[in-house]
Amino acid sequence: MRLRSQPGERIDRSHPIQFTYAGKELTGFAGDTVGSALFAAGRRVFSRSFKYHRPRGLLCCSGRCPNCMMTVDGVPNVRVCVELLRPGVDVRDQNVLGSADRDLLGVVDKVGGPFTPVGFYYRTMIRPRRAWPLYEKVLRNLAGLGRIGDTRNGHGRFDTVHRRVDVLVIGGGPAGRAAAAAVDGDVLLVDDRVGHDAPYDVLAPATALGIYEGGLVPVAAGNVLYRIRAGRIVVATGALEQLLLFSGNDLVGVMLPDGVRRMVDEWAVKPGDRAVLVGEGAVGVKLQLARAGVEIAAASLRPESLSAHGRRGRLTSVLLDGERVDCDLLVVSGGLQPAYSLLAQAGARIEYEPRRGIFVPTELPDGVAVVGAAAGGIDQTPVAAVLDGRGDKCFVCICEDVTTKDVKRALAEGFDSIELAKRYTTVTMGPCQGKLCQLAATRLLARETDTDESAIGTTTARPPWTPVELGLLAGRHHEPAKRTPLHSRHETLGAEMIWTGQWRRAFQYGDPAAEVRAVHESLGLIDVSTLGKVLVEGPGAPALLDRLYPNRFSDLKPGRIRYGVVTSDGGRIMDDGTVARLGDELFYVTTTSTGSEGVVEWFEWWNAIWGYDAEIVNVTGALAAMNLAGPRAREALAPLTGADLANESFRYLDAKEIAVAGVPCLALRIGFVGELGYELHCPAADAGVVWDALVAAGATPFGLEAQRVLRLEKGHVIVGQDTDSESNLVSARMQWTIKDDKPDFVGKGAVPHLQVRERLVGFTADVLPPEGAQVVREGRIAGRVTSARVSERVGRVIGLAWVEPEIAEEGATIAIRVDGAMRDAAVTLAAFYDPEGTLLRS
Amino acid sequence: MKDIFRVRRMWRPRSELKKRYDVVIVGGGSHGLATAYYLAKNHGITNVAVLEQSYIGSGAAGRNTTIIRSNYRTPEGAEFYKRSVELYERLSGELDFNLMFSQHGHLTLAHTDSSLRVMQERAEVNQILDIDSRVVYPEEIARLCPQLDLSDTPTWPIMGALYHAPGGIIRHDAVVWGLARGADRAGAELHQNTTVTGIETDGGRVTAVQTNRGRVEADVFISATAGWSTLVCGMAGVRLPITTHILQAFVTEPVKPFLDVIIVSAQMHVYVSQTDRGEFLIGAEIEPYTTYKSTGTFSFLEYSARHVLELFPQLERLKVLRAWTGLCDLSPDYSPILGATELENFHLSAGWGTYGFKAAPIVGTTLAELVASGKTPTLIAPFALERFHSDTLVSELAAAAVSH
Repeated sequence: MRLRSQPGERIDRSHPIQFTYAGKELTGFAGDTVGSALFAAGRRVFSRSFKYHRPRGLLCCSGRCPNCMMTVDGVPNVRVCVELLRPGVDVRDQNVLGSADRDLLGVVDKVGGPFTPVGFYYRTMIRPRRAWPLYEKVLRNLAGLGRIGDTRNGHGRFDTVHRRVDVLVIGGGPAGRAAAAAVDGDVLLVDDRVGHDAPYDVLAPATALGIYEGGLVPVAAGNVLYRIRAGRIVVATGALEQLLLFSGNDLVGVMLPDGVRRMVDEWAVKPGDRAVLVGEGAVGVKLQLARAGVEIAAASLRPESLSAHGRRGRLTSVLLDGERVDCDLLVVSGGLQPAYSLLAQAGARIEYEPRRGIFVPTELPDGVAVVGAAAGGIDQTPVAAVLDGRGDKCFVCICEDVTTKDVKRALAEGFDSIELAKRYTTVTMGPCQGKLCQLAATRLLARETDTDESAIGTTTARPPWTPVELGLLAGRHHEPAKRTPLHSRHETLGAEMIWTGQWRRAFQYGDPAAEVRAVHESLGLIDVSTLGKVLVEGPGAPALLDRLYPNRFSDLKPGRIRYGVVTSDGGRIMDDGTVARLGDELFYVTTTSTGSEGVVEWFEWWNAIWGYDAEIVNVTGALAAMNLAGPRAREALAPLTGADLANESFRYLDAKEIAVAGVPCLALRIGFVGELGYELHCPAADAGVVWDALVAAGATPFGLEAQRVLRLEKGHVIVGQDTDSESNLVSARMQWTIKDDKPDFVGKGAVPHLQVRERLVGFTADVLPPEGAQVVREGRIAGRVTSARVSERVGRVIGLAWVEPEIAEEGATIAIRVDGAMRDAAVTLAAFYDPEGTLLRS
Repeated sequence: MKDIFRVRRMWRPRSELKKRYDVVIVGGGSHGLATAYYLAKNHGITNVAVLEQSYIGSGAAGRNTTIIRSNYRTPEGAEFYKRSVELYERLSGELDFNLMFSQHGHLTLAHTDSSLRVMQERAEVNQILDIDSRVVYPEEIARLCPQLDLSDTPTWPIMGALYHAPGGIIRHDAVVWGLARGADRAGAELHQNTTVTGIETDGGRVTAVQTNRGRVEADVFISATAGWSTLVCGMAGVRLPITTHILQAFVTEPVKPFLDVIIVSAQMHVYVSQTDRGEFLIGAEIEPYTTYKSTGTFSFLEYSARHVLELFPQLERLKVLRAWTGLCDLSPDYSPILGATELENFHLSAGWGTYGFKAAPIVGTTLAELVASGKTPTLIAPFALERFHSDTLVSELAAAAVSH
């Protein structure tokens, strides 16, 4: 069913390609699209419409309209008119009960019309309320087009390419080519048709999706997304053929001129036997029709009235200015409209030009130019909003099955602006994104409201210019994960790894309770490389830290460590950690694992205002850290270092540079987990050496879970778990860190106003509440549990909770809701374990 | 049913602005219209004008992702939204307009043990307040949403979720139109394309607003202008601790029903639902920078697509149809600013960030009550503007960051 060889045809008749449609074997040629191969094989009905299930056939042949959407290899909503034919491709109908030819849901078109006017669903199915879910189920199943398969159905991977050019030309028509050829230098032309030979760079077939800030133009080219940064952008997207509004304008056999042109020129198929041509654009295809041997039954540039009639949704005749003409092809053009969407989205203004009946872009943003038809370089006279003629439905929007009657009704109901009418009727909201219906809708509204098109305007142009696959936007997925230098050690030990922020951390090594025991009774070792580590250095460092923290660091002696809490200017707790003074002008600050970047940014932000002579350097990734803790810590560490570890020379809260197993370490004697401990910070590359030596010395690796139990026994808070964005130092009972006599610090102004609506306290209980359990008092919520664990050491359930100040008293009984039942717990204000800190200091 | 055959105007065509009303509401979105509606319905106050600078529902009311839920973290927030959901459940019948409120359930996914802890806390708060909300684990998630990728393949496997059965989606435009019709039929006037250009004050009171169509006096003025709140209130000299950010969303091409529940993942910065039309409606977090420029970003589409596919790899070939942005007015504690201001007869509804639409009916009821009685209803007392002076903030931050 092919024509004889056409000049410039795209098909390669020497390469037949087998494919299946609805289970039937069919043959096309290399260079065919799925649509052209199906048409050549005799298929005329390609889909059923969204609402009325009317048969629809090829219309635009350029991937714009919804008429040829089918399911291809399990992928729904594929516009087969532009989908290149591949061997073995499996094509199926969608959104039908039966087949596209015989769709039982077609009954909606026959009898459903009066019951389903625009917005009918807003007015019906309201009572009884409990029936709505049933109605809705029916509606949901009727709506939608294709069906998503159960599995991933990509044809391969998606990639992203970054590119920059001086000049980017979008559109490969004559104007675009001329613009590209005129550029002397770095130019790239993007064209959604097959490429052409040119002295400049061409990317085709490829579609620009939008023009974003900074000259960013994302371009979809098959499975590759090009992110192009252009110095200048020339838009040469041409014009879009518009649908003409008349009764039966959606019948199978009604086509736009460009579709007919492609069908004959590129695919060598005969679009019909007997044609009627209507509109200025349509007469331009006479040549193609003659070559294809299509009889031209009638032609009219500007008819007064037109209606199309058919049988089973297929065109059989038209009434043209009152005269009946039999035909199976109606080539119509509602005129051209500049394709301005990319420009509008980039910030251009869109203005109506009554002389030619089009919207043209004006007031272009800097660096963006428009040429050719897209600029309004179109020679035409405006067409009528609607060609009167009685008969079948007249569609403004074929994607959503919106008729002129629907639009008129919307107006009569008060939806009288283009945006309200759009939202109510859904015109321009379908898969064509308004490419075929925007102008028609505006014309119709102007006519019906007795105004002009410029008063009506257009709806806002929204990206993307062409629907784009999620997979292509996503590219290849690279979710960043941070691993500590000791990661492989944990894996070897069989640790359960979990996420903390972007870090992967060892949660436990098999028996967290035994890990806790090891720390209490002997010796444990935990990888704390995830701690944020920041150097603050310079003559201004002491003053800077004094101003960043509520407490004081300028009086901290070199070699000593102090706990510090970072608060916001509203006095809220943001982060915590230790600050070690390594020299007169050098401080080593640690932060929480997830807080390091935020803290560094915060420090820098403030110092940008204050201008202290101090450098803030984030060394988190450069250094590893591990905490050696337990009663045996000193005796185990001693043989590995030459340093004097005696309690008198290396005191609690001392910081010393020592060598461990030959590796230079900064050793901090601190006690987050409550036993004698040394936190060893060393170059990341040498972390394994230190770790291995300590394990060889008898240290048991312990994970995050054991650490959580150990720190809870000490009543140490975890910022972000035991505090939230409103917690302050007074309510968290850490007012001792506030040195209010300082002239200034971040949050000082808030200190006098800090509210204590609740306090953070410890509690003991017999039943383990979930973290997040609520404290209930007199039937209302009076607090919440933030941490809770069973502590072998304490012999009870221990936890931290925020409670109302009245019950934040030592020994007070509070009621915690656990699994729906109230359980008593006793408030404890001191640490559960070693409250005096004797062990830490020994 | 008869209404489908009969064409009736939803609201009267715009009339001339009168010189004076009892109440002038600035903002024809869901909050402004709900206030007008409940002023008439609950208090018989109908000499009311709603001034809208564009068309009704043109701002956040028509741009949100239509999710209605009440599983908030703070007791104050949860109680408030619980009442809102109850009002929404009745609203279709009350307005005789089908708002298509579909309570298919709402799952907030937890990909880390810390987010699971937050879910647990929300569930506990919710249960005490009699809100249907609980933590569920992968086995049950698989029953509620078998389409989700619950394997270990994703970078952030799903560990659990907060399941809120009454959570659902609603047709947002229908809410606007239904309330507009209700207010109009009761006698309130809708004035679209009417921009407030100035606010006159005298002795701690607002005396009149100036508009592009003339000056209007009233006894009480209300600002319900979401992203424009700081600008509108600024005209009256009322300063708000609010920053305006953009929030972006997109829809895909329509497909047959695939997803009934709403899926939210703070870790993936994304929320996903499928509308009755078959489109997937996908939103993200607010952009971190402040702006009134409503052009979207391409990076939003990229990361949202990436994150959706982490949850639903089957959607790889589904096409994005249309992306848009809306303005969000963000308060420091992510809780709204609702009720009286330092000007005696000037009230506001602002600071809603990303979740104002969910609150429309309860805002309308409580603001109407405030106007009618002159007293702040207890339910909204915690959200007073005054709290930023007394430092009694309501931290909804943990639950609201991305929780649609």
